[in-house]
Amino acid sequence: MKSLNKFTLSLAAVCVTGIATGTAAMAANCPAGFPGANVNFQVGYGAGGGTDTVARKVASDLEVATGWTIVVQNKPGASGGVMAKGLLGRKADGLTIGVASNTTVVINPHVNADIGYTHNDFAYLGTGMVLNYGLVALADKPYDNLEEFIAMAKEKGRATISVGAATHTIAVDAIAEHYGVKLVSVPGKGSAAALKEALGGHVDATIQSTVHVSQIKAGKMVQLATLTPNRAPYAPDAKTLLENGMDLSIEGHIIFLVAKDTPKEILTCLSEHLAEVTNSDEYTKFLAGRSAVSGNMGPQGTAKWVADASVFYGKKLAK
Amino acid sequence: MADFSLLMAGFSDVFTLYNMLFILCGVVLGQIVGAIPGLSIIMALAIAVPLTYGLDTLAAISFLISVNKGGTVGGAVPSILLNVPGTPESAATAMDGYPMAKKGKPMKAMKYALYHSVLGDLSSDIVLILLAAPLAVVALKMGPIEITALMILAFTVISGLVGDSLIKGLIAASMGFLLATVGLDPGMATPRFTFGLLELYDGVPLTAVSIGSLAMSGVLLGLLNLRKPDKEQHSAVSIKGGSREDNTVTFAEFWANRYVALRAFIIGTIIGAIPGLGSTTAGFLSYSVNKQAAKDPEAFGTGDPRGIAASETANSAVVGANLIPLLTLGIPGNIAAALLVSAFIIHGIQPGPLLFEEQGRLIYGMFGAMLVANFCNLGVGQFCMRFWAMVVSAPGTIIYPAAMLLCFAGAYVITGATFGIFVMVSAALFGYVMRTFGYSIVAFIVAFLLTPQLENSVLKARLITDDNPWELLNHPVALVLIAISVASMIYLGPRKKKPLDAEMPTPTGQ
Repeated sequence: MKSLNKFTLSLAAVCVTGIATGTAAMAANCPAGFPGANVNFQVGYGAGGGTDTVARKVASDLEVATGWTIVVQNKPGASGGVMAKGLLGRKADGLTIGVASNTTVVINPHVNADIGYTHNDFAYLGTGMVLNYGLVALADKPYDNLEEFIAMAKEKGRATISVGAATHTIAVDAIAEHYGVKLVSVPGKGSAAALKEALGGHVDATIQSTVHVSQIKAGKMVQLATLTPNRAPYAPDAKTLLENGMDLSIEGHIIFLVAKDTPKEILTCLSEHLAEVTNSDEYTKFLAGRSAVSGNMGPQGTAKWVADASVFYGKKLAK
Repeated sequence: MADFSLLMAGFSDVFTLYNMLFILCGVVLGQIVGAIPGLSIIMALAIAVPLTYGLDTLAAISFLISVNKGGTVGGAVPSILLNVPGTPESAATAMDGYPMAKKGKPMKAMKYALYHSVLGDLSSDIVLILLAAPLAVVALKMGPIEITALMILAFTVISGLVGDSLIKGLIAASMGFLLATVGLDPGMATPRFTFGLLELYDGVPLTAVSIGSLAMSGVLLGLLNLRKPDKEQHSAVSIKGGSREDNTVTFAEFWANRYVALRAFIIGTIIGAIPGLGSTTAGFLSYSVNKQAAKDPEAFGTGDPRGIAASETANSAVVGANLIPLLTLGIPGNIAAALLVSAFIIHGIQPGPLLFEEQGRLIYGMFGAMLVANFCNLGVGQFCMRFWAMVVSAPGTIIYPAAMLLCFAGAYVITGATFGIFVMVSAALFGYVMRTFGYSIVAFIVAFLLTPQLENSVLKARLITDDNPWELLNHPVALVLIAISVASMIYLGPRKKKPLDAEMPTPTGQ
């Protein structure tokens, strides 16, 4: 998907920069005179997608909270890779903040030879939303949980699972290996395309991260297994893979990052402001509308999570 | 199925001065952006989405939908007046619209386009309002195997667009096919022809390619023609003069195209209801089908109103039908619909199966807004037509550089980087060479557009059927589509021997 809001936003920005610059932050500790210019959000995905929507919400809440002018730009391509690589070429002044997914930092460096960065090249400000990874199937299929699904696959010899990104196949392969059954990933362009195949009954199940929630609420789909470490609030009866005896949990986050050499005090300023927004009632309500939570892990938590996840996927993908 | 009181409440919500104003603004904005070569509807929508954050939900959604609707009408204008389609979906309109304009009937061509665009849009909106739920179920049944068959059918359509030389047409299509393989392969995510450039991982950006090869190459050609001591150098199309008959479309003339419009509307609605296809496919498929169905297919491409009607009705019918998977399943059918989803979500609404239960009144309000927007489109279109006609009567030395600037801006904005400009300029030079040597740019673009979809569905179909070709026998819809493809190839083949002028004419005429 393409994007383009830069135009108008920059125009708007020009008009308000005069008022906005230099406004002191209230709750967070910011260096005097920061930012002193427009702050740029660079979204690693196209306009209209899940990451973009979250980035724009955070940007508009942050503008209200700080009085800064924030310009949201979309730099889609290579699962956030184009944006992340571009971020490294920028001055590490904290004025350019990348909005990425876990794929951008923990999977891209393992699978793409041209990516030119690792997760160590960035400083992390925090996270904006937890993705509800789940294995889901149409409600009228004869299986309602992972055991029944596996039993069906064994009986038929194979089962198909549509996935929105080639990287979701990691989960499919791990489940197949654990149960010793043939599971075929059917890759599509994005989660919505994968959902369509499942809703049409063309595949046996699908791996989804957000859009399936309303289908489950409407009773059209069931969650066979939850891939995140804890059970999902919207499907309390679906066991996690861990509960099913597998040593696998998959978490996804929307991650805010900047170039590594950004000064410490600016990092503190930005991450405190981000936390202020993600903890606000307004933002919580916004995510609740999508049956999601922010789960902001903070700068240290995010860095640790990214490092651990990178090791985990590095092993899985090396196979 | 609809709750009548809810429907009335929703409709009455729309009829406030506030909402009407946003609908009108949206239509005007959409038409202007659509009519400017280089700027696309997607761009207009992406710019408009953040503007609506502060509005109330119904006004915001009405505004965005109006922008989308306005854009589909506006898109036909540069195709007809300049032979410079700003967006691929209006490229089919240029094939008959521009020749008609050259014949001294630009107003008539624009009116044909406007009326059929509004007709297609309105009809598909009515289908959406009455039949959304059952149609969505039918569309879902189109699985990878059926989509593969549909794509094969769509490819045979190219043979109806290649112009007088089948070989040149096939070469053009093959180049589009080849260019579409750039990027990560859909199965294993292996980079193909990316030369270490991350920017190419998701493929060559379609919008930059289409702005370059369709719009910018036309502009280049127009600029070069300015230097020729030719009598028609100052403007591409002469607006002034012409009898009353040349400037109006009578009801009888409009009615004469009813079967063309009906076929186009059915094609547009079906393509729109299936997520992932789009208005460009609909426009070309409809043009080609109608050409095949005509008693005198050789008239197409020479300024035949049926060509305009076929393209415009179908590409506009997609706009309403595209909301069918969006509203009932939460699956956006194309990029424009995906942008609407983000607007819905920002306003706290999750499109999907619960939408009608949770937000019934809002949705009926939106339906009301869609109907109103169609009539606004008609009114604004009538008015703007004169304005566009005036703009194009300016000297080419002003028009072409301005259009060029906008092409640059459009290509930059779409990728957020200068990379888009490089792609656009390369595509423009390539397109210029193709035009000069008589290769069909339309065949190139259509192949470029359809290939990723075909590749992806073939891959999915193979995985789902476990490479068992006999599975096809369990998919009657796919069998029928393949039979139609074969028939259309045989049927189109011999006809190609006649010297047809189906190619996009160059601004100098043929």
